[in-house]
Amino acid sequence: MGYFRSLKLAGEIASFAAGVGMLTLPALAGAATPDLAGVAKAILDTHCTACHGQARMSGLDLRNSASASKGGTRGPAIIPGDAASSLLVKAVTGVAEIAMPPGDTRLSIDDVNVLKEWINAGAPWPENALADDTSTWWSFKQPTRPEPPDLDDGWVRDPIDGFVLAKLRSEGLEPAAAASRSTLVRRAYFDLHGMPPPPGAVKQFVEDPTPDSYENLVDRLLESERYGERWGRYWLDLVRYADTSGFETDHYYTTAWRYRDYVIESFNRDKPFTTFVREQIAADELWPTDMDLEGTLNLPEEKRRNVRRRIGTSLFTLGAFPVEYTYYGDLYRAEWRAEAVDMIGSAFLGLTLECARCHDHKSDPISQRDYYSLSAFFAGSVEKEIPLVSLFDVQTSTRSFPLLEQARALKRMAKATQKGMNPEQRGKMLQRLGEAYLSAPEPYESAKVLGHEQSVPETYVLAHGDFRRKGELVKPGFPAALPSGPPVEEPEGIRFVPRRRAALAEWLTSDEHPLLGRVMVNRIWQHHFGEGLVRTPNDFGRHGEAPTHPALLDWLAAEFAQSGWSIKAMHRKIMLSSTYRLASVASDESIALDPDNRLFGRMNRRRLDADALRDSILAVAGTLNLKMGGVGVIPPLTSEEILAARTPHLWPANPDPSEHVRRSVYLQVKRSLALPMLHLFDAPDTARSCARREISTVAPQALAMMNSAFVLEQADHFATRLSDLAGEDPGGQVDIGWTLALGRTPTDSERHTAVGFLKRNSLPQLCLMLFNMNEFVYVD
Amino acid sequence: MWTDASRRSFLRHSGLGMGWLAALDLFAQSGGTAQSPLAPRPAPLPATAKSVIHLFMQGGPSHIETFDPKPLLNKLDGQHPPGSFGDEDFQNGKFLQQTLLGSKRTFQRHGQSGLEVSDLFPHVAQQADELAVIRSNFHEGFTHSQAQFLIHNGWPRIGRPSLGSWVLYGLGSENQNLPGFVVLLQGGVRSGPEVYGEGFLPAAYQGTSFRPGPDPILYLNPPAERSSEQQRDMLDTLQGLNRTHAADRNLDSELLARIESYELAFRMQMTAPEATDISGESEATKQLYGLDNPVSADFGGRCLLARRLVERGVRFVQVWSGNGKNAIDWDGHTGCDQNHIDRAAETDKAVAGLLADLKSRGLLDSTLVIWGGEFGRTPTSDGGKGRTEGRDHNPYGFTLWMAGGGVRGGKVIGNTDELGLRAVEDRVHLNDLHASILALLGLEHTQLTYRHSGRDFRLTDVGGTTALADRLKRA
Repeated sequence: MGYFRSLKLAGEIASFAAGVGMLTLPALAGAATPDLAGVAKAILDTHCTACHGQARMSGLDLRNSASASKGGTRGPAIIPGDAASSLLVKAVTGVAEIAMPPGDTRLSIDDVNVLKEWINAGAPWPENALADDTSTWWSFKQPTRPEPPDLDDGWVRDPIDGFVLAKLRSEGLEPAAAASRSTLVRRAYFDLHGMPPPPGAVKQFVEDPTPDSYENLVDRLLESERYGERWGRYWLDLVRYADTSGFETDHYYTTAWRYRDYVIESFNRDKPFTTFVREQIAADELWPTDMDLEGTLNLPEEKRRNVRRRIGTSLFTLGAFPVEYTYYGDLYRAEWRAEAVDMIGSAFLGLTLECARCHDHKSDPISQRDYYSLSAFFAGSVEKEIPLVSLFDVQTSTRSFPLLEQARALKRMAKATQKGMNPEQRGKMLQRLGEAYLSAPEPYESAKVLGHEQSVPETYVLAHGDFRRKGELVKPGFPAALPSGPPVEEPEGIRFVPRRRAALAEWLTSDEHPLLGRVMVNRIWQHHFGEGLVRTPNDFGRHGEAPTHPALLDWLAAEFAQSGWSIKAMHRKIMLSSTYRLASVASDESIALDPDNRLFGRMNRRRLDADALRDSILAVAGTLNLKMGGVGVIPPLTSEEILAARTPHLWPANPDPSEHVRRSVYLQVKRSLALPMLHLFDAPDTARSCARREISTVAPQALAMMNSAFVLEQADHFATRLSDLAGEDPGGQVDIGWTLALGRTPTDSERHTAVGFLKRNSLPQLCLMLFNMNEFVYVD
Repeated sequence: MWTDASRRSFLRHSGLGMGWLAALDLFAQSGGTAQSPLAPRPAPLPATAKSVIHLFMQGGPSHIETFDPKPLLNKLDGQHPPGSFGDEDFQNGKFLQQTLLGSKRTFQRHGQSGLEVSDLFPHVAQQADELAVIRSNFHEGFTHSQAQFLIHNGWPRIGRPSLGSWVLYGLGSENQNLPGFVVLLQGGVRSGPEVYGEGFLPAAYQGTSFRPGPDPILYLNPPAERSSEQQRDMLDTLQGLNRTHAADRNLDSELLARIESYELAFRMQMTAPEATDISGESEATKQLYGLDNPVSADFGGRCLLARRLVERGVRFVQVWSGNGKNAIDWDGHTGCDQNHIDRAAETDKAVAGLLADLKSRGLLDSTLVIWGGEFGRTPTSDGGKGRTEGRDHNPYGFTLWMAGGGVRGGKVIGNTDELGLRAVEDRVHLNDLHASILALLGLEHTQLTYRHSGRDFRLTDVGGTTALADRLKRA
């Protein structure tokens, strides 16, 4: 019965991650017989490996057979088959010169009995115990620039093609045919802009005789601001962007949109990726913003530039966060920092670090100590609201404070007295209130970014992630299995500007870092091909998939660094390759031999994601408003659509209808109520980093595409557009409808079918059908 | 048409893990179709329940006023709690600094089992022998949103799949023309719709909110000006074009799946209004659910709808009482007693009617009915500003009950301490509760996993035992 109870205990303790809880041991009648090795390991993981794991205190590592038998400075910890002589048992029972665990905690008798039983049984280790040497994991080693395969083949336009072709041939396969020019131009538009080509663009490209017409097309698309909106959206997915906090209160982050605009602008300007990363992690520490006015009332140019960089740090101010965490200051800080570390892991390192919050990572060489050492980089950092305007402007907009105070006083009066008023008095009061409100000063422009507390609190390893259970004191430090970074230089005992995040940013973006470049080129590749070279884009660890083309991945990473970390240069390189230009249709044989297209011998056919689908509908209907930036737009919803909102009456749709048809990236993201149209098509939940959206195909999507007010209204606009362009001629309407929606003219058979359909149905219904066609929703 | 490759690809795109391949193969051999992510799948282990109706009492009903009588509490009414109970943090203050609040409710024993039920529920009391009352539930979330996420998703934050989503992922649904996980709301949801969301699972597993009336599903019905002939015409024309398109593209399984989804949508349009139309039910049935009384008609209508859905093979139905605002849900911060009298008047007859109706139709044996909120309430008077005779949130010990689906009724499991502050005897952690619900459905909670963001997730995270399931099934 001993280890039954212990199993329960280990499980319960592990479930403490949420922070507050109690221990209990309910009866466990009928539980399945658990395996002894697993239970013993659970006990060791619970009580021992925080110190005697990755951290190897006293040289002891209790995470696998070899290292435990080898032992530490005091000799072997375990002698298989002989519990009584094993130092581990002596230590936990207190008969050795040392008693473990340190402090007041004692192992229960049941736990001790399990350990004895297990050692006497030969101390078998579960199969999933960590392998001995963790330092050889491929993604933790710095990439070297591999030599591209030297293939004498006209198909090879770029070294990318050499890597891909060599691999295909080694499997006995050949690449598919090249895509037609009309397919290629459509693919390029959707890829870089997330929208179909505008009218005439397909024809123009197909008929362009110049030899570098495709290169010019790619360059033109990269220069358009539509590019940043599309690729910025991928980054926003990755950093779980939203405009509200979620949970019951769902607080509005009033300046989050500035971060969204910062991201879009960064992509459009092709900001070097390392700069982009440095800004988001530590702009405030790397680029000072404390300079004063330079003899004018405007913000000095350098300060303006640096303040804009600092908006990047808003990344750490817009996570999903229940306001109740503020009930305990330490809980709030612990959760905030945990969120920050998760972001560093998933968005920048491509590693799932969160496991190490409660225990050493089971599969990757990240210890709990590593986790809190990383967390310490964020100690002393807090959210700050800063002005984006000069001191002069701040004063100007606050000095007319009496007007604002007057408005507030009127509001208080209105609340207090309105019950006893007749409608006329009430109307007058509200008018005065409105006038006072209108004359009150606009608040100056501000942004919520990272800054510093007045002192830097200590960071401790937290047992099982519980903020009340402080363990070992740690300093900022880099994971032991990765190359080390710059030291954090902090003078003792005097006031100083912390530079902890700066050190973290320098480490991440140093040339020696093995992960940052690989992870990012893999993301770029994934959004061009539908799948990455590593198909687990946020997990380059042992749980993740190995790269299908390791040499190509490393070569791309080297190219990326060499190009000065230019993302646009990567797009260009990838899109000009023969590999990118392949057709998505292939021989049945190659599909049978490589059903998942792991060899990239053809292009993957891809469904538009939620944003691209909505944007494409607006573009084809001719209603799309291309205005950029600004506060997130709240589109109108039907009463059915907001049924589940806690406060349905608080859905202040934007009063200007032209705002409702802006690109999806500019819609407000409310965590407590996803927009149904976007949610149905797998928009990310914004709870955590999303590196790759799900693609599901379900009946409610079909219902939304056929019956929702949004799609029906856009079908009407599309029909009006067709009538304007083609007049009353059904054949002409069909031809232009096909061209606008699908980028091609209909076949004779399609024209016949569609004209027949128009005899029985209205033009808006034909338009609705076009929106619903697989060809509209899938890109070849 | 379904080659191995295309089926594999389909499974990948429909988001089903490879772990289900074996089960799907078995199923395909038995003549079923394995094409839809919602296709029914046999439970891997012996099951006593096939479907679930979760009667969710939003706001958190007081265990002290309902199923967990506390004589000592009544005796100490108005005093500070004895220090021997130790302190505890509540949302509005510390336990020991508050004053105890006795209950005005009276309890009687009912049925052959003599189960104690308060006078709030005279109708439910008549079903006492069906109820297994679990008094020793606990978890770690003392605010509504955290607690609702815990109860529904097993984790105090957004981003994880709901219990119903996990069940659907594990078992599929018996009716392919209706969503397999249906949510019947009274109005708003405190923690937001993610509590019945699919989290990181494919969208096919999300809870679908049904509204009362002939238009139950969002976007279900075409606009009035489109006749059903035109609707069919558009669908036929569309599908013809789509099939030609797919034929030119290696019959891509993703494209075929999308064609199929339009057929399913059409069947849903035909089927769902019938499923939700209760006008054909007999007067006796309507009375059984309290539809003849305006106070209980709203919740009663949703309970009746739940029965109709389960009858038609829907796997998981949530029925919500309370609309997410303090005065209109179970959140008795002020005047807890009157609040509960009002809520009980809305729900008592319908809950009892549902149990009786399921039983008379032979559905109770296979339908697990769960009743409860996101937590219980404090033995002390709420310490919040200006609040009187109210009770604060209490996640440290609270009551849920289950009936049907293989549960042997007429018994109490576990206990809270003498004040009803904490669960002390046979404690049931939230993970244990979830593991046991899955066990009754023939699902092993440690095996029901989904790989996401580099890790295998499960409803019970790293905890959970199924001891409770065994207790529930025993006499």
